Amino acid sequence: MASAFSRIASFARRDHRYVLLGTSAIAAIGMMLSSQPRSPMSFLAHAFTVELVMYYLLVAWIVLSAVALVFKFTHWKTYAQTAPFTKPGVVRALRLGSYVIWAMVAILVVDRVVLGFASAWAAAASATSMPKDMLVQVLYMFQQGKQTYIAGVVTTIELAVFGTVIAFFLAILLVAIRIMEIDRSDNDFTRFLKKVGVGFAKFYSTIVRGTPMLVQGVIIYYLGIAVVSSFGFSITEVNNIWSRFTAGLVVVSLNSTAYMMEVLRGGIESVDMGQMEAARSLGLSQWQAMIKVVFPQGIKFAIPGLSNELVINIKDSSVLSVIGVFDLTFAASTVAGIYYKQLNAYLVAAVAYLIMTAIASWLLGRLSRRLNVKSKPLGSTSDAKPLSLGTEA
Amino acid sequence: MALDATSFSPSANEPVIRVEGLRKSFDGNVVLRDIELSVMPGQVVTIIGASGSGKSTLLRCLNLLETPDAGHVWFHGADLAADHVNVNKLREKIGMVFQGFNLFNNMNVLDNCTLAPVTLKKMSKDKAEQTAMRHLEAVGLADFARADVTRLSGGQKQRVAIARALCMQPDLMLFDEPTSALDPEISGEVLSVMRDLAAGGMTMVVVTHEMAFARNVSDELVFMDKGVIAEASSPDEMFTAPKLPRTREFLSRYLD
Repeated sequence: MASAFSRIASFARRDHRYVLLGTSAIAAIGMMLSSQPRSPMSFLAHAFTVELVMYYLLVAWIVLSAVALVFKFTHWKTYAQTAPFTKPGVVRALRLGSYVIWAMVAILVVDRVVLGFASAWAAAASATSMPKDMLVQVLYMFQQGKQTYIAGVVTTIELAVFGTVIAFFLAILLVAIRIMEIDRSDNDFTRFLKKVGVGFAKFYSTIVRGTPMLVQGVIIYYLGIAVVSSFGFSITEVNNIWSRFTAGLVVVSLNSTAYMMEVLRGGIESVDMGQMEAARSLGLSQWQAMIKVVFPQGIKFAIPGLSNELVINIKDSSVLSVIGVFDLTFAASTVAGIYYKQLNAYLVAAVAYLIMTAIASWLLGRLSRRLNVKSKPLGSTSDAKPLSLGTEA
Repeated sequence: MALDATSFSPSANEPVIRVEGLRKSFDGNVVLRDIELSVMPGQVVTIIGASGSGKSTLLRCLNLLETPDAGHVWFHGADLAADHVNVNKLREKIGMVFQGFNLFNNMNVLDNCTLAPVTLKKMSKDKAEQTAMRHLEAVGLADFARADVTRLSGGQKQRVAIARALCMQPDLMLFDEPTSALDPEISGEVLSVMRDLAAGGMTMVVVTHEMAFARNVSDELVFMDKGVIAEASSPDEMFTAPKLPRTREFLSRYLD
């Protein structure tokens, strides 16, 4: 925080590059805000003259910048010497002037945007029926359907987090099976098992990655019902044992497992072949070499892809609303159904999804930075030529 | 600086490793044909030849990093090239040093050296570390025991790789162009370690382009050309009176 503050402080003290053109753009935003209707909470409504003066000051700044720009075009060779804008005193005055403009625009932002939102929120809270204004409508529906939305958000988080964690462990198991290779010392039974295992992992990955999760969801949910019913349970018992949430969690986990397995495989395969060869040359078995040498390096390559799966699951769990899992999308459709306002209900959901994915990305970014602390760039040092293993036949 | 001589030898006049009728091809291209080679205990055999002549492949067939198409590789009374043979067990007795060092990047220097003894010989961590420190000292890197391997220079990495292989107390050491990835001035530190090792009685098969090493250190020189052993003799004989024009031509490029 201290460094950020000192950076801002030094920026403010020094002659910055955004004095004329950059501040003009900000001034233009301020003019645009000023031309917006005032909300009931607006304090500038009581100080019309102040706002008028501010408006014309903004206009004046833009005009001044335009003059400076034209001057620069016409005197571009001698601008530094002839222009009045480059004299030390003027530069200083312009810089201070730019801060005044920024402050005025900040006031306009507070007045129009912040207070505008606050009064829309208040209007939505006091409304007894659907308001007319779009923003107030959205906020009204959010406030009315808050419990529904929160329940949806919780379910979505549960599906994504538990699903990703379960999938991670399943993916580690599956990738271990997927990358098995027939070794010379294996007996026929082991060879057979390895072939079956690799075949299964490939088959699984192809099926899961080749079909949409929505379709997988429907199939697994109804297949589950059929299986549980076949044991002779009543419908309520079936719904308790194989709930929509359970089915959804299974779908997310199984789906994510396939993708995470491929990410892990990519990470493992990007580890230099020589690592495996060196381990094998010492007498380690394929499995020992994988566990002790290759996998610990490969998983580091895979971390970005693995953590991306959480973000994907937050979003993609939305398709589970088709089997009635009460996630955020299902919540949005429920609220939309009450008020017959699809757009507004889903706008709320979009903002909620965006907040969730942003938080997830931020947390995962921190996590991967922490995990990568010890990982140095792999490969040769400066005095070693690029590796050329196996070039000689 | 003395490196441990190999303790094990079944019999002084039995070869440590013996290759019979070895053949290897990649995608239909035959890269090795009719290879016959035996290495006696304490012998240093150096394989030379142009790039692409098959010398690295031959070396990699000796510990089954490449699987031969046909032929036998006899080691400790077992045929490594036979199907279902426990290659892992036999590899414990064959150390290998690679051109690209291949130190385990996820471990420090000491852990690189102790991984195999602890995992395979069920040695206690302490004992393995003692052995490793002895070998690291012999290659002059005891001070780097706790260093991250990615921080080492190429020459240091290769010396660690040699120490790592020696920790398994091998009966045979294979060197696959150990100095080809190094600058000439750094090659010296690796070659001197290898020279000490040879002087200590280690049985070695070395693939290299370092002709001075080939001439001064090896007991037998093998010249490979187009996948066959074209000529094999003592270094002096090969350098002074090569039998084949092809050998003379190859050596003349290094002797000028």
